[in-house]
Amino acid sequence: MPITFKEVSYEYSANTPFAYLALDEINLKLADGKMTAIVGATGSGKSTLVQHLNALLIPTRGELEVADRKIVANQKNKGLKELRHQVGLVFQFPEYQLFEETIVKDVAFGPQNFGISENEATEIAKKAIRTVGLDDSYFEKSPLELSGGQKRRVAIAGILAMNPSVLVLDEPTAGLDPQGAKEMMALFRKLNTEDRKTVLIVTHDMEHVLNYCDDVVVVEKGHILMHVDKQTFFEDTSCLERAKINPPAVIRLRKLLQQQGFDIPNTILDLPTLAKLVRKEVAK
Amino acid sequence: MKNIALGRYIPLDSVIHKMDPRAKIISMLLLLVCIFIDTGFIGYAIVGAVIVLAVLLAKLKIDFIWRAMKPMLFMLVFLLVINILVIKTGYVMLTIGNFRIYSDAVVQTCYITIRLILMINITTLLTATTKPMDMTIAIEDLLTPFKSIGVPAHDIAMMISIALRFIPTLLEEADRIMKAQASRGVDLEEGSFKEKINAILSLIVPLFVSSFQKAEDLANAMEARGYNPGAKRVRYKQLKFAFRDYTLFVVSVGLLAGLIVLKVTVL
Ligand SMILES: Nc1ncnc2c1ncn2[C@@H]1O[C@H](COP(=O)(O)OP(=O)(O)OP(=O)(O)O)[C@@H](O)[C@H]1O
Ligand SMILES: [Mg+2]
Repeated sequence: MPITFKEVSYEYSANTPFAYLALDEINLKLADGKMTAIVGATGSGKSTLVQHLNALLIPTRGELEVADRKIVANQKNKGLKELRHQVGLVFQFPEYQLFEETIVKDVAFGPQNFGISENEATEIAKKAIRTVGLDDSYFEKSPLELSGGQKRRVAIAGILAMNPSVLVLDEPTAGLDPQGAKEMMALFRKLNTEDRKTVLIVTHDMEHVLNYCDDVVVVEKGHILMHVDKQTFFEDTSCLERAKINPPAVIRLRKLLQQQGFDIPNTILDLPTLAKLVRKEVAK
Repeated sequence: MKNIALGRYIPLDSVIHKMDPRAKIISMLLLLVCIFIDTGFIGYAIVGAVIVLAVLLAKLKIDFIWRAMKPMLFMLVFLLVINILVIKTGYVMLTIGNFRIYSDAVVQTCYITIRLILMINITTLLTATTKPMDMTIAIEDLLTPFKSIGVPAHDIAMMISIALRFIPTLLEEADRIMKAQASRGVDLEEGSFKEKINAILSLIVPLFVSSFQKAEDLANAMEARGYNPGAKRVRYKQLKFAFRDYTLFVVSVGLLAGLIVLKVTVL
């Protein structure tokens, strides 16, 4: 089942003097099994958009379909728990949600809420903690004693432990060191390719978009500016310009080389191929 | 969470909004005193009329006032039940089986209800039309005469302003934590009693942790910028009484005096 948004609008503090229209009649269709990046300037509505996916926010107008569930504006939407099992959402600042005495217990909290026994949940939790790159010595530590980046990993583990079929991550790598960020992105990519999970990732890092994602959705001021595949997005520099996005290093290098008269097609998106082409050109 | 109306500032452009916060605070106190002068329903009708007028002048919506009062409904029902059970004077109004409801119980409840509603409206009028910062400045000014007897006016004002400043932040935080836990399957509406207790814990612990963290950060930030509560300071915003503020004084003092006269002569 693809994820579809039909004319979805969301207004914060509706019917008050503070009303703010954060999403304005959004139409969007996200195919199964893709890893999609959601990009856009600060305050453009990315977090608002992704919070609709597990019905934390209910549209004020329009409707959407996620994981065989239909969510319609102005209706009592019951039994959202099952949807939240299917769609795992990691928040933009997830470190604030930790509360148990030990990390294992905290990660096991999600699965237990969905009816998995304590023993089994503990096993799942341990596996998830290792997956996010923390070793066994962390199991019995208090989550409150961790650094910001470690807390973030624990929070991500907490969602992975629920084994959702759709994984939504709101800036999961903000505040991680570059190496750690790469590891996390590789992990999400692996979950996408090996476990066939649909992954949606909000990010400001174009390198990550280029290296790990399939599609790109650009959000601007509550509208979807474009929804294209990665190849098109980085090939056609007008896309990047329209989205006011500073391109990743490879693309900038490609452009500089083209300006210097090198004959390099726009389809080149990776460094090794670019290097080979330059070599060929120089040899000429 | 975001829709809590009680104590919220509503930015509108009205006479009441423009009034001096000191004048508003003093009038609020005077009006509160008025409520406690027992002149029966006539007195309440007069005070009520003044409040309705003020609400209209402040351009506040009925819907907002209603939402500000809503949290009190539970308490009112509670009071009604207690009164009916406890008060056994006056004549019997209603007999259900061998259980009697007395007239005084109903009258008393009406009194208390009216008083509470008036009080909430008066305070809502103040908080909805006065910026929290202006309120603190006013409180500090009004407390200044008591400095000589050891009242730390500035410290109190600073504490109040920080508390007010952080109410929305805390609500936002609670909202965010609730959403994060809901994403992990916490269900505050459905679920057994034990699950609910656990759900509440999953909310309160992170909220406390982040509040303490915020308090510490704020204290450090203030100290880093050389804040010293005892230091002499000047103020950017100067308060000044205008004609409308004197009018407000006259109205509220007049109201209080009128009610006292009513109490002494008529009743
Ligand atoms: N709880 C809220 N109440 C009112 N307005 C809000 C609320 N949350 C967000 N907004 C507003 O909605 C708009 C979109 O916010 P959102 O959090 O979705 O942005 P974002 O694209 O995720 O930005 P960022 O990259 O900074 O995370 C912003 O302009 C913001 O001011
Ligand atoms: Mg965001």
